[in-house]
Amino acid sequence: MHIMEGFLPSPWWQIWWILALPCIIYGFYKLRSILKENRELLPLLGVAGGFIFVLSALKLPSVTGSCSHPTGTALSAITFGPWITAVLGFIVLLFQALFIAHGGITTLGANAMSMAIVGPVVGYYVYKGLDKINFNFFANVFIAAFLCDIVTYCVTSLELALAFPATAGGFVASFGAFLGVFALTQLPLAIIEGLVFVVIFKYIIMLKPELLIKLKVLSEEKMKKVQGEIEE
Amino acid sequence: MYYEFLEDIAQTNRLRDLHPLIKIILGLGCILISVSSQSIVAPLIIIITISFATIFLAGIDFRFYLKLLLIPLGFAVLSVIVIVFMRNSGQILFSYPLGDWFLLTVSYGSLNEGILIFSRVFAGMCSLFFISLTTPVTETFGLAVRCRIPGEFIDLSMLIYRFIFVLIEQAAQIYNAQHMRLGYGNLKEGINSFGMMAGALFINTWNAAENLIMAMDSRCYDGRFAMPDDSAAMSFPLLCLVIVYLMVNTGIAVYTSGFVLFGVAY
Repeated sequence: MHIMEGFLPSPWWQIWWILALPCIIYGFYKLRSILKENRELLPLLGVAGGFIFVLSALKLPSVTGSCSHPTGTALSAITFGPWITAVLGFIVLLFQALFIAHGGITTLGANAMSMAIVGPVVGYYVYKGLDKINFNFFANVFIAAFLCDIVTYCVTSLELALAFPATAGGFVASFGAFLGVFALTQLPLAIIEGLVFVVIFKYIIMLKPELLIKLKVLSEEKMKKVQGEIEE
Repeated sequence: MYYEFLEDIAQTNRLRDLHPLIKIILGLGCILISVSSQSIVAPLIIIITISFATIFLAGIDFRFYLKLLLIPLGFAVLSVIVIVFMRNSGQILFSYPLGDWFLLTVSYGSLNEGILIFSRVFAGMCSLFFISLTTPVTETFGLAVRCRIPGEFIDLSMLIYRFIFVLIEQAAQIYNAQHMRLGYGNLKEGINSFGMMAGALFINTWNAAENLIMAMDSRCYDGRFAMPDDSAAMSFPLLCLVIVYLMVNTGIAVYTSGFVLFGVAY
């Protein structure tokens, strides 16, 4: 994730910017309406954004034009939904580019597309779907966090492969190559991230359960059931 | 900490009192030119001039600057190697069989492309560090306000910026405490400790954030931070100088677009 400044050649960085912008603007309108309704959420949104920044700044080298790190988007994707997460992720990526030269301005569109938009969207809808069929809450959080992370990397590989198709085998070959190199560092990292988010949610449920009820992540009866599970 | 350190430098460097617009135009302009350049000449010129500006005009310690650059450039080298092996075209430089079916090949074409991409990344890094080392965050926000970026967006950004430091500071404390109590002895304990830390951090910071908003509300916060506009006066000769510099660079990039290091153009 976090394709470096200057790494994507000319048609591609513009294309990803154009694709990412409408999602961010839509997210911004959602954010505005939510804040109008309930201004108490502003600090919480700020904290969730800071959280994404800190988690996704822990990077490990990987051989593919970027690096491996946890994405940290699952928490805000599950609690606020994917579109608001898109705005938070965009701000975080902009900060990382401007303040610690991690990512870049031209590649911001591509990075936002993978980490702030597609990853959380997939994670969130899978979470919602599994939630409907009464799947175990913690297993569900694990799957959502795992997906947020792994999908981000798949999209990054796709972006890189589209920009740099291999001479022999074209797009498919280089997509496979990028995915393969990423998987080495990213699969274990995604599993760890999933587990970490399960522990995070466990602590939030133990210490501040009213937060999740207020944000309609869990209904009250479900919360009681989950709290019962923790006590066991 | 590393992050606070960058912000300290941005607040104390010699270009601190320059209008932020000039610095940002210079940085972004250089990034755009180096990304669009088809040869390594323009990025090389940008690397040299921007580094010169950062080290001598802004007065950043040379060794510190080098250390900052070394981390991202390490990543860049690794990534460019993949490109070099995958994008072969033109005359073959060498090939090395890896096992029975896999052939590692490097050709002049891919080598040229790899070097071009590396020079773009290098120039981009230098320009980004120029912005982050000379422009304090508050001035960037001030500029954003004047560009009519919606207030909610800026407020949220400022809150996120504030909480990054709260989070990092508390994380360091909790991590040290956990580490001293052998919280990271093995992987399972490590995951548990890290999750415990992250959960506690989230809740703690959230509490701090609610207190902050309450404090601001009682001081008539209405969803918009007041921004003191204390940035320096605009200097038009300097702005013109920056624009001329960017135009010269663009000219160089266009003029040298056919230049390649090895063999004929790919």
